[in-house]
Amino acid sequence: MVEDTRLIELKGISKSFGTTQVLKNIDLYIRRKEFVTLLGPSGCGKTTMLRIIGGFETQDEGKLIFDGKDLSGVPPYKRRVNTVFQKYALFTHMNVYDNVAFGLKLKKPEELLSGVSNPTRKQVKEEINRRVTRMLKLVKMDAYAKRSVDSLSGGQQQRIAIARALVNEPEVLLLDEPLGALDLKLRREMQLELKTMQQQLGITFIYVTHDQEEALTMSDTIVVMNGGEIQQIGDGKSIYDEPKNAFVANFIGDSNILDAVMVQDYEVFAAGRSFECVDEGFAPNEPVDMVVRPEDIMIVGEDVGMLPGEVKSVLFKGVHYEMFVEAAGFNWKVHSTSMYPVGSRVGLSVVPSNIHIMHKMKEQTAPAAEESK
Amino acid sequence: MKRSYFSAPYAVWMVVFTIFPIVFVGLYAITTRRADGNDLYTGLANIGNIFGNEGTYMKVLWRSLSLALQCTAICLLLGYPCAYFLASKDFAKHKTLYVLILLPMWMNFLLRTYASMGLLERNGVINSIVTALGFKRLELIGTQGAVLYGMVYNYLPFMILPIHTVLKKMDQRVIEAAQDLGANPVRVFYKVTLPLSIPGIISGITMVFMPSVTTFAISGLLGSGNFMLIGDVIETQFMSANNWNFGSALSLFMTVLILISIGLLNRMDKSKTGNGGGKW
Repeated sequence: MVEDTRLIELKGISKSFGTTQVLKNIDLYIRRKEFVTLLGPSGCGKTTMLRIIGGFETQDEGKLIFDGKDLSGVPPYKRRVNTVFQKYALFTHMNVYDNVAFGLKLKKPEELLSGVSNPTRKQVKEEINRRVTRMLKLVKMDAYAKRSVDSLSGGQQQRIAIARALVNEPEVLLLDEPLGALDLKLRREMQLELKTMQQQLGITFIYVTHDQEEALTMSDTIVVMNGGEIQQIGDGKSIYDEPKNAFVANFIGDSNILDAVMVQDYEVFAAGRSFECVDEGFAPNEPVDMVVRPEDIMIVGEDVGMLPGEVKSVLFKGVHYEMFVEAAGFNWKVHSTSMYPVGSRVGLSVVPSNIHIMHKMKEQTAPAAEESK
Repeated sequence: MKRSYFSAPYAVWMVVFTIFPIVFVGLYAITTRRADGNDLYTGLANIGNIFGNEGTYMKVLWRSLSLALQCTAICLLLGYPCAYFLASKDFAKHKTLYVLILLPMWMNFLLRTYASMGLLERNGVINSIVTALGFKRLELIGTQGAVLYGMVYNYLPFMILPIHTVLKKMDQRVIEAAQDLGANPVRVFYKVTLPLSIPGIISGITMVFMPSVTTFAISGLLGSGNFMLIGDVIETQFMSANNWNFGSALSLFMTVLILISIGLLNRMDKSKTGNGGGKW
């Protein structure tokens, strides 16, 4: 389980490439044995953040504290951190076994065999063999030890990349979109396997992805990023249920985002009428974003709903139907297990606790949020 | 129309200027011209002569091989670091250096060699500086060192370019992965960069060793004719001794030697790396 000690702390980290600032004053701490996901669209700075932790980039400003010590200026090979790279970056001139053994062979004999004084070459070799074999078993690749890495499929190469990093028993494993190149089914399998491995080995994982489902499946903590800034930090449930702003609401799951005005506590005005809600503490008549998840909208009879409307399109999505209903000048995305044919008149209804009110974002950094309007 | 027809001009060219000459070289090599002007089939007699004549030709052959090997080794030792720094991030922006290395290749090698002569001559540029500084005149031209210098000078770019290409194309993430796994810069080089650049090294060796083993003119001009190489001998047989048959036998013999060494190099390339990518 996640321990309550801070293993890594980022304090005021900023980084620019040329004139583009990719990280803006990032503050973040990561606890021991935590599975943290950095989630955001491409170009949000998540990979740069990972590369700063790995030592491949140096921050322009700020401090990186690892286990109480400042890591600034420490080269990658001296950090107790290992990385699984996006395109695996396996050594093509070595076979599977030698790829996995690479890190171990670089360790001093005393490090490998802590209990043995003056270990012989043979003892070292046996120890390396033992660890590599165990790791290959863990990733279910023990039958492929002598194969060349070029002959492996994407999923298999992925497993070797993970084994090559994990065999060194790092305190932190950095993963840079490691499942991006795999097909959906394999990706889901690997998500579960990675989570299981992380729990079994008790290693801190920092995982970079742009896939919100992946983040929700695996993480203890999700760090949502956009435009070089952290938008929200929290566990999957709190981020999904209580998104802090329209960007997060739109990036994690589907959302209907409406321009609204907070009339007073517990009352919001949007789409031409007042809604009861559970939010308070906004200034009177403050312009806000009102967010409603598609699955929280109920379709009822036209005369009993809060908003009368007409079904404009229907898509079958497997578990549910996705329908767009035009009501009060807004195209509402609605998820429902029952289907209403295109053109039928319906009523929409939502309970107060499912209406989320958010402060307007300072700058419009969420182009994705515009689309659904 | 089939696409393969487009290759017809080249096919004709190849038959006329590559296949026919090889066939003729082969025919000349196994015949001897008699006094009456008729050619007589003499089998391997010409080839046998290469080993005869009190080993004169073998000595020349040995000198050629040895000089070519030295030239290749020096080119590799000079060229690899050069290619490495050219491919590194710091130099990537500076195209000037790259062009400076390419520049000599755009000029005819004879011109370059004549220029070298001017540099190394008894009253050449180097000696003028040396004597002006009050030192004794150096014997540069006509030494084996001068020949070796001329060869290295001419063939160095052919070593640098293929290695540079391989290093440039190398996936930076693989280098980072090695660092990440605990390799310091020296170990990253020996365990990852160097093994992955072998295809480029093999290409470079091929492109330097092959022409330098058959080189001529350089030895004549810079060695003042004191260091006959096998290329010079073959030239003499055709141009002055007028013994095309023996010249052809020598050519054939060299061709076989070169084919064998290419074969060996390619085998090394395959056993070391999965795919050769060093051609440029």
